[in-house]
Amino acid sequence: MRLTLKARAWTSAAALLLAGTAYPALAQTYSQAPSLDARVESGDLPPVEERLPQTPYVETMIDGVGEYGGTLRTTILANGDHYNLTRTVANELLVRWDPTWSEVVPSLAEEVTASDDATTYTFKLREGLRWSDGEPFTVDDIMFWYEDVFMNEALSPSRNPTFVVNGEPVVVTKIDENTVEFKFASPYGLFLQQLAYGQGHLPVIYPKHYLSQFHEDYNAEGLPELIAADPAAGDWVALFNSKVSLTFQPPFWQNLELPTINPWVLTVPYADGERVVAERNPYYWKVDPEGNQLPYIDQVTWAKLDDPQLMALRMTSGDFDFAFRHINNATFRSVLFDGQESGNYRFVDVRDLPANDAVILLNLNIEDPVKNAIFNNKDFRIALSHAINRQEIIDLVYVGQGAPAQVAIQPEHELYNERLATQYTEFDPELANQMLDEIMPERDGDGYRLDPEGNRFTINFMVSDVFGLSYPDVMQLVQGYAREVGIDIQLRTTDRARLNTMWYANEQEAYIWNCVGGLSEAYTDVRCYMPFQKADIFFAMKWAEWYADPATGEEPPAEVQALMEAYDDVNAAVTDEDRLAQMQEFLELSAENFFHIGISRPMPKYMMTSNDLRNVVDGIPITGNLWHPAPTLSQWWFDRD
Amino acid sequence: MILFILKRLLFVIPTLFAVSIVAFAIIQLPPGDYLTTLMADWASQGGAVEAGTVAAMRERYGLDQPIYVQYYKWMAGILTRGDFGISFELGQPVTNLIWNRLGFSFLLAFLTLCFVWALAIPIGILSAVRQYSITDYSATFMAFFFLAVPDFVLALVAMYVWSTYFGQSVGGLFSAQYIDAPWSWGKFLDFVNHVWLPVFVIGIGSLAALVRIMRANLLDELSKPYVTTARAKGMSEFELLIRYPVRLALNPLISTLGWILPAVISGEIIVSVVMSLPTTGPLLLRALLAQDMYLAGTLILLISVLTVIGTLISDILLAIADPRIRYQ
Repeated sequence: MRLTLKARAWTSAAALLLAGTAYPALAQTYSQAPSLDARVESGDLPPVEERLPQTPYVETMIDGVGEYGGTLRTTILANGDHYNLTRTVANELLVRWDPTWSEVVPSLAEEVTASDDATTYTFKLREGLRWSDGEPFTVDDIMFWYEDVFMNEALSPSRNPTFVVNGEPVVVTKIDENTVEFKFASPYGLFLQQLAYGQGHLPVIYPKHYLSQFHEDYNAEGLPELIAADPAAGDWVALFNSKVSLTFQPPFWQNLELPTINPWVLTVPYADGERVVAERNPYYWKVDPEGNQLPYIDQVTWAKLDDPQLMALRMTSGDFDFAFRHINNATFRSVLFDGQESGNYRFVDVRDLPANDAVILLNLNIEDPVKNAIFNNKDFRIALSHAINRQEIIDLVYVGQGAPAQVAIQPEHELYNERLATQYTEFDPELANQMLDEIMPERDGDGYRLDPEGNRFTINFMVSDVFGLSYPDVMQLVQGYAREVGIDIQLRTTDRARLNTMWYANEQEAYIWNCVGGLSEAYTDVRCYMPFQKADIFFAMKWAEWYADPATGEEPPAEVQALMEAYDDVNAAVTDEDRLAQMQEFLELSAENFFHIGISRPMPKYMMTSNDLRNVVDGIPITGNLWHPAPTLSQWWFDRD
Repeated sequence: MILFILKRLLFVIPTLFAVSIVAFAIIQLPPGDYLTTLMADWASQGGAVEAGTVAAMRERYGLDQPIYVQYYKWMAGILTRGDFGISFELGQPVTNLIWNRLGFSFLLAFLTLCFVWALAIPIGILSAVRQYSITDYSATFMAFFFLAVPDFVLALVAMYVWSTYFGQSVGGLFSAQYIDAPWSWGKFLDFVNHVWLPVFVIGIGSLAALVRIMRANLLDELSKPYVTTARAKGMSEFELLIRYPVRLALNPLISTLGWILPAVISGEIIVSVVMSLPTTGPLLLRALLAQDMYLAGTLILLISVLTVIGTLISDILLAIADPRIRYQ
């Protein structure tokens, strides 16, 4: 029997049950890659049936069942590109998003049950899961993470927000050998979604049998010797963190000993050599519908290069089978397009679609009372929005790649809200002038408007050239449009680090950035739709602080509080239908608030895959926290015939 | 002679000390520190770094202390234990990361130096002896042309041509099959096949300066009476040229060794990044971008030490080559 990712059973009102591969594959004989045969014959490895769990995860094939073999050749920046590895081979979680990013399905867990108050989640693990070194993966490993890492003050000075609600960290309890319960103090209906994103990896990357030797509570006597032997470690915390690393920092990719549950395991680390290599994990726990153990591909190699230009050149000369990071932008598009024949690859759409590529964020909590009053006047923001000629910016700066829009969910998504996306986007300087005349009628000799105190109204605008989105060019045009309606914008070019310090000190008046939340991540990541504490988006930092903890920050006005309450309802929703309805309501309120001014809706990006590769998802969604395409790579295979 | 060397060595110590302070201060100049980089990095992956974690890490790395305390700790580690600190990003001692790459940097610098001198000296001599001839003009023109072309552009174009029209593998110092292999004849040939391109690109830019220096010096010498005397005595033109004026004209070339060494090392940074060479250049660039300060500091310090050593060597060589210098 073949299972689809949509297979799902709902219980009545009592509990919601996500069941993935509840039915074992009919064919109980499993087969393995020919490259493993010799090791099994020599007794080096147990037979494939013993290596797989009793009910392996049966992968849904994109094109069909494949054949074993081959090396996937790809590339990585020589330094600071560790997320390339994560997004290629390391995203195995308790629950996962399906490749279309529409629903959460069980993965390492065989079954997930949520209580109807959205506070308690019970995970039943697949029986017989194994780490890449052959040791069993059990609830004890999750408990090791919870008790000895997450709750350990030294290793986790503060708790990862994925596992915290209203300041209260999760309570994890072992029910039996294969069942574990996550309990929150208050409703957390978005927990499964959060857990299915890349940042949900924490509970499943800590092999107890290997890591306990580096933990003070387990090996107090042996530790001094281990610390002395490691020149980079001064104490046990440093030693432990050099063996495994949350969010997959470089130490994770330098430790070849660390057992994992990934389809390929490292054999050449991401360190000093000129390449990185990962070989098939003989204990990988997924099979195809015919019972062939995945992955199909034997080996993955990354050529370490220092420069994206060289990546593009080597791609066109056929040195790689797959590449997506650093060269999938407008700069390289034409070169790579022309090189498809010589490089034997094709373009595959990547739906890396944020809510907006260029957003003007005025600081609504600015200290200056005059500017504060004007920025908080919604009519001022509307007028500024009408003053901008979005199509011209898109044509001139983004070579036509974009569409005029505000910060909003993409039109193809179920959450799309037309008002949110299109309000105030018409280029209408006359209307803008009219509206501004109501707010600041007086002008000085140069035609610039004066604030109520009689000084020229100037916005000191911070511009940082990030993401390859040409913000300095965009803002030059915006500055011109603003001048037409009598608003003085002074551009201050800065680098990201300085802007970062300004955000936290609440010093910036306005800046331009991109906005996440164009597709399903809008549920869990609402930083662009309301004041919400997270990185990079700081348009009302004090209100966001107040939302996180009402004892801090500044109490927001009633309409913003209503918006925040609407989001609490989203988080309390248990069923998908209810969550969708609550979210739509929330987005409508957000549209009403109109916090910032979006310019361009992004277009899909691309990746390059060899013409011989099969089972590649065309149009795979990717975002900051959705670490695709890693979960789909184990079913890729080379059709060399 | 020994006294001369000792005196020079004595000057080296305060210079290096000053250099280390400047190196450390430069790294601290940009706003933020490694943790701001880390936070931006995590944010791009959908994570958020909690204030508590950042504060704890800042304390762990000692970044919460004043700059002079950080400098003192760094220096104390270097002087007492040879410990250059830890790379924050890679979680490894800086010394582990640097030595292997420094070897390739030196090798590349040495090969480039040989290449440039081997080319510049004959061309310089030819230009001087055949002043205002077609040879002189074309040699000078080519040298200035390559001086004017930025080396990274030259690197990109060379790689493009080499890869697209000749179908050769470009980037790095080895082909994929030799990367993790032990040294062998095949690997050596593969290395030679890869190394000439960066040597050419890095070296060719500094050719012009050396050719002009050589030419100007030699022209000065050629008109001196002793040359005329030797010629009158019937000495062969070639022997005369090589034995006297060329030897003297080489003096200023030797004294440029001091700045050629660091110029080659720092000039290779951008070329190494473009061509993905396993030298210190790309490591330094990343360390500066990530504000991985001990790694960046150590690399800058090493480049400065190289400058100082280069100057020292050229002083000594000069003293050997020209006895007059010893007594000044």
